[in-house]
Amino acid sequence: MDIQVLDDNPLYKGETYRLKFRFSKQYPIEAPEVVFVQDPTHPIPLHPHVYSNGYICLDLLDRAGWSPVQNVESVCMSLQSMLTGNSKGERPPGDEEFVRRNKLRPRDVTWLFHDNTV
Amino acid sequence: MKVTIKRWNAVAAWRWDMPEDDVCGICRNPYDSTCSKCKYPGDQCPLLMGDCNHSFHMHCIYAWVQQEASQERCPMCRQGM
Repeated sequence: MDIQVLDDNPLYKGETYRLKFRFSKQYPIEAPEVVFVQDPTHPIPLHPHVYSNGYICLDLLDRAGWSPVQNVESVCMSLQSMLTGNSKGERPPGDEEFVRRNKLRPRDVTWLFHDNTV
Repeated sequence: MKVTIKRWNAVAAWRWDMPEDDVCGICRNPYDSTCSKCKYPGDQCPLLMGDCNHSFHMHCIYAWVQQEASQERCPMCRQGM
């Protein structure tokens, strides 16, 4: 699924991002696994909750924040809104280290949701 | 003229008393249809309404509240079911 940010936020203007959804048999009781994927025409958006390998730290994609009434459309809209509302052109703290060392799938990473400001 | 009825077949239609073309928020199938696991709608696959007035197929909401992460809350409004 491709998404764009349709306002004038200079961080994301004119870019298109590609998302990969992976659904388990239990979907929608369980959250899908959602990551940004990079290719020559689709960069990974610069955001303090998006790691440079495309992993996304967002409560609604985690076990504790997911609800089975969410769907692909609502997830895309939440991600668009997460990007729109951001003004920091930076990666999460410890991005390089995480991307180098992490061998877990996104659903198995223990995310800490400590920052509610972006 | 006198008519004698020898045989007759009764036919009935039913639907849940819910807004028409409304769907279960979990499986996205119409309320009048079944959850994604059932074959026959109706008493085999009933609806369930929480105190918050949100409805789902019973099988759908059961699958959800059995998840620890659900904390037995409504998927729509996160109130206790």
